[in-house]
Amino acid sequence: MSLKQGKHIAIYGKGGIGKSTTTSNISAALADAGYRVIQIGCDPKSDSTTILRGGNDLPTVLDTLREQSKVRLEDISAVGFGGVLCIEAGGPVPGVGCAGRGINAAVEQLQELHVFDEFKPDFVLYDVLGDVVCGGFAVPIRDGLADRAFVVTSSDFMSIFAANNLFKAVNKYAPSGGARLGGIIANSILAAYAPALIDDFAGKTGTHVIGYVPRSLVVAQSELYGKTVIEAAPQSEQAQVYRNLAKYIDENEESVIPKPLNSPELKKWAREWGDRIFEVETGVVHEMASI
Amino acid sequence: MAHHLEASRNSCALHGALQLFEAIDGVVPVIHSTSGCGVQHYLGVTRLSGGNDTFGSPPVSSSNIKQKHVVFGGGSRLREQLKNTVKVVQGDLYAIVTGCSTEMVGDDIPAMAKEGRDQEWPVIYTNTPGFGGDVHHGYHLAVKALIEQLPDIVKSQEKIPSGLINIWGIIPNQDPFWRGNLQEVGRLLEGIGLVPNLLLGSGQNVASWQRVPGALLNLVISPWGEFPARLLEERYATPSITFEGVPVGTAASILLRRLTEQLELDPIRTEAFITREELRLNQQFARLVDTYYRAGFQREFALVGESAQVIGIGEFLVKSFGLLPRTLVITDNPSESIREALDSRLTTILPGYHTDVLFSEDKSEIADVVRAGEPGIILGSSLEHCLALELGVPFLALSFPLFDRIVLERAYAGYRGAAVLLEDLGSAMIAGSKYINEAS
Ligand SMILES: Nc1ncnc2c1ncn2[C@@H]1O[C@H](COP(=O)(O)OP(=O)(O)OP(=O)(O)O)[C@@H](O)[C@H]1O
Ligand code: SF4
Ligand code: SF4
Ligand SMILES: [Mg+2]
Repeated sequence: MSLKQGKHIAIYGKGGIGKSTTTSNISAALADAGYRVIQIGCDPKSDSTTILRGGNDLPTVLDTLREQSKVRLEDISAVGFGGVLCIEAGGPVPGVGCAGRGINAAVEQLQELHVFDEFKPDFVLYDVLGDVVCGGFAVPIRDGLADRAFVVTSSDFMSIFAANNLFKAVNKYAPSGGARLGGIIANSILAAYAPALIDDFAGKTGTHVIGYVPRSLVVAQSELYGKTVIEAAPQSEQAQVYRNLAKYIDENEESVIPKPLNSPELKKWAREWGDRIFEVETGVVHEMASI
Repeated sequence: MAHHLEASRNSCALHGALQLFEAIDGVVPVIHSTSGCGVQHYLGVTRLSGGNDTFGSPPVSSSNIKQKHVVFGGGSRLREQLKNTVKVVQGDLYAIVTGCSTEMVGDDIPAMAKEGRDQEWPVIYTNTPGFGGDVHHGYHLAVKALIEQLPDIVKSQEKIPSGLINIWGIIPNQDPFWRGNLQEVGRLLEGIGLVPNLLLGSGQNVASWQRVPGALLNLVISPWGEFPARLLEERYATPSITFEGVPVGTAASILLRRLTEQLELDPIRTEAFITREELRLNQQFARLVDTYYRAGFQREFALVGESAQVIGIGEFLVKSFGLLPRTLVITDNPSESIREALDSRLTTILPGYHTDVLFSEDKSEIADVVRAGEPGIILGSSLEHCLALELGVPFLALSFPLFDRIVLERAYAGYRGAAVLLEDLGSAMIAGSKYINEAS
């Protein structure tokens, strides 16, 4: 690979937590600010960039591997909102094959096509599927592909659990040149205690939250139009939230090697929060006045 | 941390399964894995066992999957490969064996085999990734596939001969003398009126395997035969006899007497056979006596091989030939229970004599132990050849891998095998000894 073009950023998080929505809005906001952006969906569902490009069909990188045809960049990319170059890695249908190897193969293919040299991006965002279940899904944070990883989480325990797993992966690979952690993106914030809970988890793991994205109807509505919030409702508060995230990612180079909790620690931490939330919801006043 | 293993002599499960299938006439193996698996089987196994097998060289059918099959699943590639194989290679049974890559990805092999069967092709399958176990495990898996799947595929109306005995535990190529050894064990059984089901080797085919459930008894002659025997006992309530080790020389008499007793055969006939065979062997011994003393045959030996070989051959050398078991190395990682047989039949029979016993498949660890024992002769695999040169002692290659001699029909089992072993061993001892100088 030639000298890396642009800043490469990987976005992880539990399935369905809002990775694609958040990533797409960040891409859109960065593009809106005048940057050249590539968003690469690393997920066999191939739906990462849908709302950036109005929901049109886009052949995936791995489709070309299947057909073994000679490919050009034009065949596997589409230009979406604000000039964002949209690419979907693709992968097997559920239940067969190895999606992890697919991500690997897709990334290799992109490197062969010299995508980064040709497009000269300022930012490349990798939207990576679900939890880090095996080595394959860790590809974007290994091998120095991405410089920084961000994790999207809500205040649900399962999504915190997934974030903690990602921390384990970062922790493992970062010392040998893998990506470091840029921070946590708190998404779908609804409950009053949610920011405090996520902050607490960040504190315990030596990380920090770079933004709180409220759960918002605008997101759902924009999605129905096949658009990002940046495009569909640029004046909305929600759009501003995404712009702030983009601004943070642009202006901040800060990154850490997180200290994941081991499983008894995580369980204990969760139980304590269970008790606290119960007290909050039932009106017990505590020194945690901030929530 | 565990240290690395040097020159392991135990190949992977896929190869163990291939070795079994290749040893049955009419069975066509189809590898579903990356291309290296088949090549490695040729380079690492069949070339190193005294000669090649029909499919034990590059012609073996293989799906040779590539990256796209890993990513999207290799089922369709296997489907295509199976179809082409059936078209190109005539067979009575097609046996799919899988390797590491396709098992990692989780290709649905049973479904593919069933598709083939729906087309009226006789297809069985077994999942044999190398990470699941070694060559012995692969032998188990392939035997299991045949025992469990064959009855549903090819129906047999054939009448089962009475007195049929299945022979288990000899793994083709892993015992370089497997063909000859099986033949000789078969001859022994015939000698007392039984009908051997050798199952492997020339003339042994799918029909032989169809007879398996109808056997009177399963004869187990290595720890690796216990699993098939147990399987058949569960399925068909067939009893079994376990005889640790390839029976060499008079051990054969013990085996035949045990069979006669358990199966209530005619003892007179058995004794007559034993007498005839032992007499012949004793005559051979007698012809060797002079050379035995003049060339100083009686010496300490080191023996490196699979447990069945070490017990069978070792016991014979000690009990019948007066050699001293200095070092015994067992390379096939058998279960601990083998220790008992080893002790009762080998290591404790010479009062006051100490034998070093090592369970290892590591070349340098083996070399260290053998070297320390300062043996007067080494019997082992070709990997020990250099060590024998280094120590300046005679050497006889008899266990896997075997790449410095040819083995076609040779056997070390039974009475005849005992005589052959004496020929080989004696020749090795004489070669280069003082004795030659004196004689010439
Ligand atoms: N802040 C938010 N407010 C409201 N809805 C949201 C918000 N974030 C995400 N969603 C909705 O949640 C759903 C899942 O989001 P998305 O597809 O982005 O998740 P994902 O993490 O990419 O999922 P997957 O793991 O399946 O790829 C979408 O319908 C999206 O519109
Ligand atoms: S768990 Fe990972 S390596 Fe295994 S098949 Fe799935 S994606 Fe591939
Ligand atoms: S260990 Fe695995 S990859 Fe290697 S030859 Fe055996 S099945 Fe193939
Ligand atoms: Mg997604």
